[in-house]
Amino acid sequence: MKKILGLALGILTAIGGFVDIGDMVTNAVVGSRFGLALAWVVPIGVIGICVFAQMSGRVAAVSGRATFEIIRERLGARAGIANLAASFLINLLTLAAEIGGVALALQLASSIAPALWIPVAGFAVWLVVWRVKFSILENVTGMVGLTLIVFAVAVFLLHPNWSDLLTQTLHPRVPRSEAPATYWYYAIGLFGAAMTPYEVFFFSSGAVEEKWSAKDLGQSRVNVLVGFPLGGALSIAIAACAAIVLLPGGIKVTSLSQVVMLVASAGGKLAVAFVLVGIVAATFGAALETTLSSGYTLAQFLGWSWGKFRRPAEAARFHLTMIVCLIIGMGVLATGVDPIAVTEFSVVFSAIALPLTYLPILIVANDPQYMGKYVNGRITNGFGVIYLVIILVASIAAIPLMIISGAGA
Amino acid sequence: MTRRKRTILIDAELHLLDRQVLDVDEVPIIVVSEVELSDIEFDKPIPPNASAPTITALLSGPVLVTRIFGGKPPRSRLHTIDWKVVSKIGIVISLRVKGSTLDVTWGERWISEHVIQRIPGGKNDPH
Repeated sequence: MKKILGLALGILTAIGGFVDIGDMVTNAVVGSRFGLALAWVVPIGVIGICVFAQMSGRVAAVSGRATFEIIRERLGARAGIANLAASFLINLLTLAAEIGGVALALQLASSIAPALWIPVAGFAVWLVVWRVKFSILENVTGMVGLTLIVFAVAVFLLHPNWSDLLTQTLHPRVPRSEAPATYWYYAIGLFGAAMTPYEVFFFSSGAVEEKWSAKDLGQSRVNVLVGFPLGGALSIAIAACAAIVLLPGGIKVTSLSQVVMLVASAGGKLAVAFVLVGIVAATFGAALETTLSSGYTLAQFLGWSWGKFRRPAEAARFHLTMIVCLIIGMGVLATGVDPIAVTEFSVVFSAIALPLTYLPILIVANDPQYMGKYVNGRITNGFGVIYLVIILVASIAAIPLMIISGAGA
Repeated sequence: MTRRKRTILIDAELHLLDRQVLDVDEVPIIVVSEVELSDIEFDKPIPPNASAPTITALLSGPVLVTRIFGGKPPRSRLHTIDWKVVSKIGIVISLRVKGSTLDVTWGERWISEHVIQRIPGGKNDPH
């Protein structure tokens, strides 16, 4: 049991990246518009985030330095602050969206308007961040979030034409109704969703919170290799459900309730109960992940004392940052903005900001002063460089594609 | 580094600037913004046989804005950590004193005393 709970950090991190509120809807949108023709992006993203998170986890375990301390130190103040501004803003938007997501999910379960759930959700997130031990926080949300596996079950219950799905996956084609630019825009969105920087901030800071050391490297590797592929599989399962149910009828996904309907049509009430519990846990987990990441990034960049392993009074500015961010997040939601639209933009912006976060980690993971004998091996560096190129291409292509495709319209 | 027999070569920009400073209990204190040197008079030619300047203090303050847009903050806005209390330079800079005894941590103390400790549970141990 302890072994299984030891995986919670990886699972929670991955849930926050792959099946948070924006991704659940985006995956269903992609499935309903392109079938599984974009499924190939997910494994590329999964391998990328595995390489990235494993490097940052290893750096954190061996040197005790979390990601943003390294970003500041390697990029210097000027490029560092550009990265901080971008990462912090994306993270803040995502935080707002996740609280909105919790509210939307609770609305589906209770029929009480989301506006009334937002303060409750925000307060609950703060209470957990303030008082609940890190290991309990990650275990509960990570394990309960696993009920989202119901999406994978639903794929089987829907009795799809398997050869059809396989053809869509292995011979991806842009549907006639869609422009190529839109296809590639969503490809970058899915890649950005897989490799969101806050996953890495959370994972590496979580490694410090859990006091990992060089002897926990095996655990770090298992966390990464179980958590992220699982998250990726869930996101493909959501797209597959949408492809099976909605693609033939040409129905477009616009809301979370349609995502729940996919499961309802496959497994009835029981499946809906599972999926609602899963969505609440996943969005709540993602809200915790982004709230903590807001504190981690700012505190690490400015050299403040941080971490849930300290008394709040001993990490005062860290806790104050999170309180302020939660209040701003709720303020953003109070304007009536659609949380799902917010995350769709934020994943594309993540892809743009990614190189500035990725490169310092790649460099430090090769620095023997930090890593001693645990520097990157040849294989990791091979993957590391390949992904540096992919990340750069995605980053450069994101804005033009966004403009040409009208943000995926 | 005269205390040690073995000398190490340190690049101020690479090994000091933007490095994390930890106190004696490994609590993060600040990130180094500037380094203060001794013995050089500004704008005057340096005599050929003058002794090399030494580091007298690590400085920290609101330098982010000025690093981007140029200029520098007034010296009075920068907090000083005396070079004498530095115990080790590695991937972080370690001090031999507690952070709470330094001026530079006043912001952390102020927020802790006036905000965080007033919220119920703020002083509790992280079980």
